[in-house]
Amino acid sequence: MPMKGRFPVRRTLQYLNQGDIVFKSSVKVMTVNYNTAGELSEGARKFVFFNIPQIQYKNPWVQIMLFRNMTPSPFLRFYLDNGEQVLVDVEDKTNKEITEHVKKILGKNKETLEKEERERKKLSHPANFGPKKYHLRECMCEIEGQVSCPAFVPLPKEMRGKYKAAMKNEA
Amino acid sequence: AAMLPALRRCRPGPVPLPALAAALGPGPFPGLCPGWSPRAVPARGRKTRYDPPAKSKAGRVKLPPPVDPEELLVVLERYRQHRLVLSALRAEFRAEVLQKKQEERLAAEGSVEELEEHRRLMAWNDEENARQQARREERLRKQEEEEKRKKLEIAEKQARKMEAFVEEKEKEVLQLQEEAKNFITPENLEARIEECLDNPRNYNFAIDKDGRIVKRTVLS
Repeated sequence: MPMKGRFPVRRTLQYLNQGDIVFKSSVKVMTVNYNTAGELSEGARKFVFFNIPQIQYKNPWVQIMLFRNMTPSPFLRFYLDNGEQVLVDVEDKTNKEITEHVKKILGKNKETLEKEERERKKLSHPANFGPKKYHLRECMCEIEGQVSCPAFVPLPKEMRGKYKAAMKNEA
Repeated sequence: AAMLPALRRCRPGPVPLPALAAALGPGPFPGLCPGWSPRAVPARGRKTRYDPPAKSKAGRVKLPPPVDPEELLVVLERYRQHRLVLSALRAEFRAEVLQKKQEERLAAEGSVEELEEHRRLMAWNDEENARQQARREERLRKQEEEEKRKKLEIAEKQARKMEAFVEEKEKEVLQLQEEAKNFITPENLEARIEECLDNPRNYNFAIDKDGRIVKRTVLS
């Protein structure tokens, strides 16, 4: 089965998870105006091609719109939920610079992200047993060093209830 | 063990007769399954709803269970109060949880430091835009200068070319003027013919193997 597109690595989960821009909750819409030709728009084009999939993956509830060849110079515009609009001029910048800039002004800090991560971890206790969907392990037989699952390896006689009951009845 | 055998199936445990459980059903007590399993068992038994009742039930009169009115009133009142209290408690707890969530959300969003931080970042963004604007103007200015300089160069080159051309032409004209002095005109014709006839020119020459020209031949 062939890979799709010019840079199919953009479709891999590992690549998408490497995106580090997580917008603040007040950012609702992101608009990119850029040109398909021209030296000055090169950084914006690379940004749209490589970094926007990562951003959308990390912010599924932010609407991203692209406008091509409408203005002579490229720029980004963010619409916040209190009606404020933030304009970012990206003419003659590389895509790395653009991501750094955006991360600085509208991205969540590393501390905020870590705090949220810790909050999320607090909800589920890793030592609990239960369905695979919510917990790590279902049964003690899954852990190495413990008694194996009796469905695959029968228990020795001494551990079985019917043997123990028979012994007791005998005695 | 000291039970009637008939009651043994009410003991908690696995279902002893799984095959017949669906067929008979635990009769009039659907909730009292052996093992208290939550399986839904049909209370109808063997007959469908369209089968006629049995002949032995012909004169049966089904009466509702007897009810003591005072006891009923007392029990109903007690239940009413119990449910009232319970629902009030639930509403209370729900409101408390909602309140806590609202507070947390407000605290997370509208804190003063965050607004400050946001304003600072916006200011920084504006500065960055201004810097970009300066760079752009610089670039445009340079481009314009470049263009002007190129245009000037081209104009100069053109002018020089024109000059050279004009010079060439003038030289040619002068040369022609010079040659015109030696032209043969109808007036000169006679004189020039006389001159040529008077001075015969000898164009013969010899050349040896070394390439030296020798003009010794005599004109006859």
